[in-house]
Amino acid sequence: MQLRTFLFFLAVGAFCCAPLAAQSPFAPKVSGVLSQRVVAYQIEAVYEPKQHAVDATETLIYRNLTGQPLSRFPFHLYLNAFQPKSTWMYEAHRDGSIRANEFASWNQKEHGSNEIISFEVVGMGDLSKQMKFISPDDGNPDDKTVFEVQLPRPVAPGQEVQFRIKFRARFPEVVARTGYKGSFLLAGQWFPKVGVWWNGAWNCHQFHALTEFFADFGTYDVKITLPGNYIIGATGVQTGESDNGNGTKTVAFHAEDVHDFAWTTDPNFRVIESHFDGSVGPVKIRLLSYSSHRSSWQRYLDVMEAAMRRFDQWYGPYPYAQITVVDPPHASLEAGGMEYPTFITGGTGWFGTWVVPKGDHETEVVTAHEFGHQYWYGMVATNEFENAWLDEGINSYSEVKVLDGMYGRNASALNLLGAQMGDRDYLRGDYLPVAETDSLARPSYTDMSWGAYGGVSYGKTAMILLSLEAIIGEQTLRNALRAYFLKYRFTHPTQEDFMRTVNEVSGQDLSWYWQQAVYGTQVFDYAVLRAKSTPANWYEKDTEEKPGETLYETQVILQRKGDFVFPVEAQIKFDNGESVRESWDGKDRWVRFVYQKKAKVESVELDPDHKLPLDRNYLNNSNVATEQLGASHKIAAYWMFLTQMLAYLLSWLV
Amino acid sequence: MRMTGDGKGVFAAGWRLLWHRWELLCWLAAVNTACGVLGALPAARQLHRILGHTLAGEQLFKGFDIAMFYELVRVPEAGLLRFTNPSYLMAGLFALLMLLISGGVFESYRLDRRLNTGEFFAASGAFFWRFVRLALMSLVVFGILGDAYLDGEKLADRLGDKFANDQVGFAIRLVGVIGLVLLMLFVRLWFDMAKVRAITDGEHRMVPNTFKSLEIARQRVLDLLWLYLRISLVAWIAALIAFLIWMRVPPAAIWATFILLELVVLAQLGARMWQVAALTLWYKRYAAEFAQPSLEVAEPEPPLSLYPETELPPADA
Repeated sequence: MQLRTFLFFLAVGAFCCAPLAAQSPFAPKVSGVLSQRVVAYQIEAVYEPKQHAVDATETLIYRNLTGQPLSRFPFHLYLNAFQPKSTWMYEAHRDGSIRANEFASWNQKEHGSNEIISFEVVGMGDLSKQMKFISPDDGNPDDKTVFEVQLPRPVAPGQEVQFRIKFRARFPEVVARTGYKGSFLLAGQWFPKVGVWWNGAWNCHQFHALTEFFADFGTYDVKITLPGNYIIGATGVQTGESDNGNGTKTVAFHAEDVHDFAWTTDPNFRVIESHFDGSVGPVKIRLLSYSSHRSSWQRYLDVMEAAMRRFDQWYGPYPYAQITVVDPPHASLEAGGMEYPTFITGGTGWFGTWVVPKGDHETEVVTAHEFGHQYWYGMVATNEFENAWLDEGINSYSEVKVLDGMYGRNASALNLLGAQMGDRDYLRGDYLPVAETDSLARPSYTDMSWGAYGGVSYGKTAMILLSLEAIIGEQTLRNALRAYFLKYRFTHPTQEDFMRTVNEVSGQDLSWYWQQAVYGTQVFDYAVLRAKSTPANWYEKDTEEKPGETLYETQVILQRKGDFVFPVEAQIKFDNGESVRESWDGKDRWVRFVYQKKAKVESVELDPDHKLPLDRNYLNNSNVATEQLGASHKIAAYWMFLTQMLAYLLSWLV
Repeated sequence: MRMTGDGKGVFAAGWRLLWHRWELLCWLAAVNTACGVLGALPAARQLHRILGHTLAGEQLFKGFDIAMFYELVRVPEAGLLRFTNPSYLMAGLFALLMLLISGGVFESYRLDRRLNTGEFFAASGAFFWRFVRLALMSLVVFGILGDAYLDGEKLADRLGDKFANDQVGFAIRLVGVIGLVLLMLFVRLWFDMAKVRAITDGEHRMVPNTFKSLEIARQRVLDLLWLYLRISLVAWIAALIAFLIWMRVPPAAIWATFILLELVVLAQLGARMWQVAALTLWYKRYAAEFAQPSLEVAEPEPPLSLYPETELPPADA
């Protein structure tokens, strides 16, 4: 009896003291405060798996660092997006999201929601009745993803205000990277979150189907009560765990200098741990996966190590003590490929539950991308609502570099059964159909469509940065990104901050490039219009052409087909093996190069080093004198085969 | 009661019949190839226009650069997907043509002799509308199967959510696909049976014929499904062998690739004809088992009455 009592008090003491003795949220060589901690969230939540809901009490301390008194505070209630008539739902339906199209048949229980039970401001009383839903972006009266509260008296500059919010979060079936599937739960955007005072005003957008989030840095202390057999992972580090004696347990997490808090749980998770030795000390990699995904475990760990090492070397240290990687179950792929601070989700793919061919690098691409977001989103916390290219695009460029380093440029996305594809080509495929739709500078949530948002924010931005290497060099661009990261980590930089940094590091005024690539919608398309050799003495009759003796005049015309002006190079090859390189500033609509040689032109190629993936049409970048029929015959043979097989299949049905 | 129609020997006999009537397969393969050529021609011309004078084609010729192929599809100036319609059209035409000549094909297998052109098209014409009715009914059944499969997918999702192992939903889907394939094969042989009965027994009323054929197919489901499945497996094994050879063929060896692809098509068409031939033989062997007494004895149709110019083969031939 005495021993049991002793053990009980030992367990209670260990839990109470856990935060004191717990692991630091940072890697060993990191100390101090890394960000302006505007917010401090303390949340105590109880998860009810059967109802897929959380009942929670949130205490938010907000520090007014705006330099002016604040009496109006907007808050996000993101889960209300998964209700009929919300702006998110309207936009998702408009752009053809599968889940949104299925929404009409959703059970009411499957609608997500954030319900405020009470809203109190310490020292000012219960202000629940002051809460008012607003729709700053589109005026949709049925959208309930943002509410604001008017305080009875303002919060003075430098002062703090404390909010106590009781709320209930009901998760939808997995959609937009949050929700449940079976016993699995990914809890993202689940708690009321205050907006960001940015550029002299509140920035608190409604939840849009295309874009993601924006929030202030701060600290998070979150305790989650859940069934005792559930395994949990979350932002930050675990600081305690107690058995409540009623079949539930309470797990505590602590995170500093982050701007969001997400968590996941499933009784079926398997925990696989590894670590990365970074420049500021070891970082624990905690993978939450499933037994059936065993074949992917090592792949996750390998790509994490590879990505973390490169980001550490190229841009700067990952300062946190841990990164949690979640491999969602087969049936909840919409939970995959998402980033939260110190917490990412990957995706094994449906056939990956048994075996993913090694040549299919999708797992690696997704994981490298999501880890990259720890830099471009997690630490350099740009506004994802308005400038998605700053996180998605720069991160896509970084992802290409990581994957190229792992598998080579031409096979970084796929190397299977003789077919190859580079990651940059995959992103270029997203860019090509939307090359002339939205500018990068346009507020991302207003982009034309889902395809335009993805093609521009991810694909086009990656192409812009890869093409920028042709002007300033790969190493200079890497240096610029490092400078940008080191200068703006733990802040909310603007797109101008990014461009200015690249200008400064490269020592060049690149405004001509930014004006077209970021602010404009000019199309980049240069072409070889003509390449032709004729005998120089064409006016003489009955002359016989003799190889190596006859003098030819060769005319090469390069054309700028689009409005994007860019200096280009061309390589002209002659049939005697001679080769000439020409440079053109690309400003005029076309340029002519003339040569007199005892050789005919064999081929002309624009961008011979393939440094300009921003060029929308590779097919017109070259011209060969002798007709090449091999490729067209080959594809035509495949085409014919597919037609024949289709014909056979249709005939089989009748 | 175990009936005797277990189909032993029909697999090989069907193959022999296919071989005897090789001209039918050649004819169909030629038509299929012609449809393939006509369907691919506009795309081929566009490919020739785009790739004829560019270095970009090398990446497709000397390997298969998916990125460059993607370029052909996504770059508006190339717009290769615009040229899919002729392929769909020719595929549809081929299916219609197959429907049109099915009567001639079945009749040729039933008689196991070469029909002259007049006989062949006379048989095709005589059975055309009956086969159209059967085709429409089979499409309804295939449609129901497809719809049921989609419902099954949703059920698999729901069941998968209830199990700890996240593979369960996927496994259910996989089993569902296999089940769907077998069911489709069964539906195919069911309606092939109806065609055989229309030809052999001179059935005019297709609805009763369909039900009777279903009954026969149901009674012999294992034998007949195994017969069809085996023949299909032969075709798919041939395709797999062709694929393995293709993997070893140099990327620029276009003619070798072309021949391999055509052999795959020929194997699929051949397997289909083999199934028809085998089922025709099977029914000829076991038709008596399924004959039902009828109050109204219909006057049997002389099988060759459609072709008055044809000379009857000797009785013992």
